[in-house]
Amino acid sequence: MTMRSRLIVAILATLLTLPSLAPAAWAQNALVVSVWGGNWKNTVESVIGKAFTAKTGVPVEFEVGGTIDRLAKARVAKGSPLVDLNFTTTHVARLYISDGLYEKLDLAKIPNAKEIAREAIRSDYHLGTWAYVYTVVYRPDLVKEEITKWSDLWKPSLKGKIAMPDFDPSHIITIAALMEGGNEVNWQKGEARLKQLKDSIAAFYSTDAQSQDLMKTGQAPVQVMLSVNAYHLQEQGIAVKLVQPTDYPGIVGIDTIGVMAGTKKSDAAHQFINVALSKEVQTELVKALRAGPVNLGASVPAGLRGQPGIFTTTAEWKERGYIMNDEARAKTLAAWREWFTATIVKK
Amino acid sequence: MTLRLVVAALVAFMTLPTVVVIAVSFNPTAILSFPPAGFSLRWYANVLGYPQFQRAALNSLVVTAAAVAVALPIGTLAALALERGRLRGRNLWAALLLSPLVVPGVAAGLGFLILAAALGLLRSRSVLIAAHVALVLPFVVRSVWVSVRNLDPALERAAASLGATPWRVFRRVTLPLLRPGLFTGLLFAVVVSVNEFVVSLFISNRVTEILPVAMFTYVVNYTDPSIAALSTLFIGATFLVVWLADRYLGLGRVFLQH
Amino acid sequence: MKLLLAPAVVVLAVFAAALTALFRWSLLEFIPGSLQTGGLTLANFRGVLAPQYLDAIRDTVVLSALTTGLTLVLSYPVAYALASTPSRRVRSALLVLTLAPFFTGAIVRTYAWVLVLGNTVVTWPLPMLFTERGVLVGLVHFSMPTMILILAAALSHIDPVYARAATSLGARPSRVFWRVTLPLSMPGIVSGCLIVFAWTLSAFPTPELLGGGKVKMIANVVKDLGLDSFNWPGAAAFAMLALVLTLTLLVGLGRLTGGRAA
Repeated sequence: MTMRSRLIVAILATLLTLPSLAPAAWAQNALVVSVWGGNWKNTVESVIGKAFTAKTGVPVEFEVGGTIDRLAKARVAKGSPLVDLNFTTTHVARLYISDGLYEKLDLAKIPNAKEIAREAIRSDYHLGTWAYVYTVVYRPDLVKEEITKWSDLWKPSLKGKIAMPDFDPSHIITIAALMEGGNEVNWQKGEARLKQLKDSIAAFYSTDAQSQDLMKTGQAPVQVMLSVNAYHLQEQGIAVKLVQPTDYPGIVGIDTIGVMAGTKKSDAAHQFINVALSKEVQTELVKALRAGPVNLGASVPAGLRGQPGIFTTTAEWKERGYIMNDEARAKTLAAWREWFTATIVKK
Repeated sequence: MTLRLVVAALVAFMTLPTVVVIAVSFNPTAILSFPPAGFSLRWYANVLGYPQFQRAALNSLVVTAAAVAVALPIGTLAALALERGRLRGRNLWAALLLSPLVVPGVAAGLGFLILAAALGLLRSRSVLIAAHVALVLPFVVRSVWVSVRNLDPALERAAASLGATPWRVFRRVTLPLLRPGLFTGLLFAVVVSVNEFVVSLFISNRVTEILPVAMFTYVVNYTDPSIAALSTLFIGATFLVVWLADRYLGLGRVFLQH
Repeated sequence: MKLLLAPAVVVLAVFAAALTALFRWSLLEFIPGSLQTGGLTLANFRGVLAPQYLDAIRDTVVLSALTTGLTLVLSYPVAYALASTPSRRVRSALLVLTLAPFFTGAIVRTYAWVLVLGNTVVTWPLPMLFTERGVLVGLVHFSMPTMILILAAALSHIDPVYARAATSLGARPSRVFWRVTLPLSMPGIVSGCLIVFAWTLSAFPTPELLGGGKVKMIANVVKDLGLDSFNWPGAAAFAMLALVLTLTLLVGLGRLTGGRAA
C-alpha cells in the first residue's frame, strides 16, 4: 500500500471509531412505550401516540421488539425501568406481574375504563386494549371445500395443507381438549385427538410474517391464524376466508397495557392508557389494526361488523370467542410446548 | 475446461438467491413472487426514507467500525501466539478461541443482557461492541492463522539481522506477508458484525439499535419486499467498495498466488 | 510470546462472564407461569436429558458435519479459481459474487431459499422445503462464502514454484493437484472446516425458516425454551449441555487436525 492510501485508511478508521466513544444520546422528557414492531408500533404511534401528544404536549418514544426479548429487558432493568408503559399479551402480562414489574393501576385516573367490556379488565395491573381471535382461515380458491368448524381440520382431504403456530400451541390444544369434554386446565384429554392431526400439518410458523407468506404462496392454504393477519391479507388482495366455527368458538387473544413499576411518569402513563381506551381512539385502532375494540362504544366499519375477532357487544364478548384462563395459560405453556414439540412437531 | 464449467455452476448456485432477492425487490405488489409481476421502485423509496433504518444504519457503522478496529489487532496477536508461542494446551486455546461461534445467539444474548444490567450498562453501546468483538474474533484469528502458518521465520530473522528493530520487522516484513489472512479476517469481521442480529437484539435498544436488528424487526412483521430492496442496496455497495478497493488499494493482488 | 494472547483472553473472559450470568439460571428451579425462580436444583439438567433434546443435539452435529463436508467440496474449485486466475476482472467478479450472499443477510437469503425450495421458482422431484434436505442446502449456501475466502487465502500462499516443478517432472495436472496443491492448502482446509462446523452448530435462521418447525437444531431449541416457554432455567441448562458437548467435540477435532496442519 502506498503512503497515501495508508493515510486515507488510518483517517477513515479514526473517524469511524471516535463516535463509538461518545455516549448514546437519550431524550429526557418523552414517555417511552414498549410495543411489538412493524404495524403494531406504527399504529400505536400514529393513533394513540399522536392523540396523547396533542392532548398533553408530551412526546412519545418507542422500544420495539418481540414479546420475550422485551420481557427479558424489562426484567433486568427492574427497579429503574427503561420504559414507562408496556404492551404485551394478556397471559405474558402475568409474568410481568409475578416479578413485580407492573405498577398497580389507579383506575380513578383512567375514567374511560368504565366503558370497556368486563372481559377486558384482566387484572389490577393490566387492561386490554384490543382483541382478536385465532381461528381457522383458508383460501377458498385453493381448498375446494367449505370449512365451517374446527373439527373440519381433521378431514383427510386437508392432509398436508395445514399450518399452525409452533411458538404457541395453546389454541389447538385447547380446542382438542374442548372436543373431548375438557378445557385448557385438563388438556391431556385432547392428546389422542391431537395425535390424529399430526400428519395433516405441512408446517409450523414462528412469526406473523411467515404465517402470511405460507398463505400467500399457497404452501399452507389452511391455517390456525390470527384474525388480524387474515384481514391484512384480504387488504392486500388475497382472498382468504375466516371461519366463525360452529362447533367451538375461536380462541380469543387480548393485547394489554400496563404501567412499569418504578416509572417516574406514572401520571402521564395513566393518561396514555386513558387515551388508548377512549371511544375515538378505539374506533381508529379498529380501522388501522383490523382488531376488535375493547370499548363497547367504539364504532366498527360495516365490513368488519360481526366478523371473527371483532366483538362490539357484551353478548358477543361472551359467546363468540373462548377466553382462556390467563394464569392457567401462563403456568401450563411450558408443558404444552414440550409435549407438543415432542409429539406433534417432531417427525 | 471442466474446471471453468464447474466453477461457473457453483457460482450460479451461490448467486441464485441473490438473483431472486434482487428480482423480488422490484415487485410492485407486497408479495414475494418470483419472477416479479412488474417493475417498481417503491420499496427502495420506502427503505431509504424509513427513519428506523436510517438511524440504525448509522449505529451499525459505528459499532462495526469499533468492533473491527478492536478485533483485528487482538486476533492477529492471538494468531501469532498460537502458531509460534509454543503454548501448552494449544489445542484447548484454539478451541476456546473458536467457542463464541458455537454458542447459540439466544443464550449469548440473554447472558450479555444480564451482564449489562449487572454492570449498569443498559444504556450504553459498550456491551454491544464487546459482544461484536467476541463474535468476530474467532473469524479473525482463524483467518490470520492461515497466513501465519505460511510465514517463513527466516525472512523476519533476515530483516532483524540487517539491523531492523522488532517493530520495524513486524511492520515491514510480517504484516505485509500476512496480507491474505488479514484481508480475509477484515472481511469476515465486517460481514459478521453487519449481519449480527440475534445477540444484538437483546442488548440494543431504540437508541443503539443496529441495522440487522431493525431489519429483523421489519421482516417478522411485514411481508413486503422492502428488505429485499435494502439487501440489493447492500450488494450494490459491496460491488462499489470491492471495485474501488481493487483499483486504489491493490485488493485484487491479495489473493493472487505469489 | 504468550503475552500476545492476553488481549484475546480478555475478550473471551468477557464472553465467559456473559455465559456465567446465564449459567446461574440453569441451577435455579423453574416455576411455570412466573419469572420467579425457586431454589438451587439439578432438575433442569435432568429435564434436558430427555430424548427430544438429546436428539436435537445429535441432529445438529450430524447436519453440521454434512454441511462442512459438502461446503468444502463445493467451495474448493471456486477458491482455486479465485487464487489462480490471472485475469483481474475475473477475480474481482468472483470476489463480488462470493461476497454478495454475505451482504444479503441471513434472513433475506433464507427467505429467498424459501421461495426457491418451495416450488414457486422450480418444481422439485422431492419435497425440499420443511425437510432436512432443504435445511442442508440453505446451510451449505450460507457457509460457502466463508469457506471460499479462507481457502483462497490459504491457496494464495502456495508458491507456484512447487506446481511448476512437479509438472516439469512429468506429473499430470490432476496429480499435481492431489499431491502438491491440496496438501499444501491443508491449513486453510482445517481452518475453514472448523469455522464452518462451529458456526453451523449454532445456526438459527436457516433451520427456523427452512425447517418449518420440523427441523430443530440446538439454537432453535434454546429459542423454544427461552422465548416461547419462558423457561429460562431450562434454556440455560440446555445451552450449557450443548456447549459442553460441542466444545469437547471441537477440542477433539482440533487435536486430530492440529498436528497435520503445522
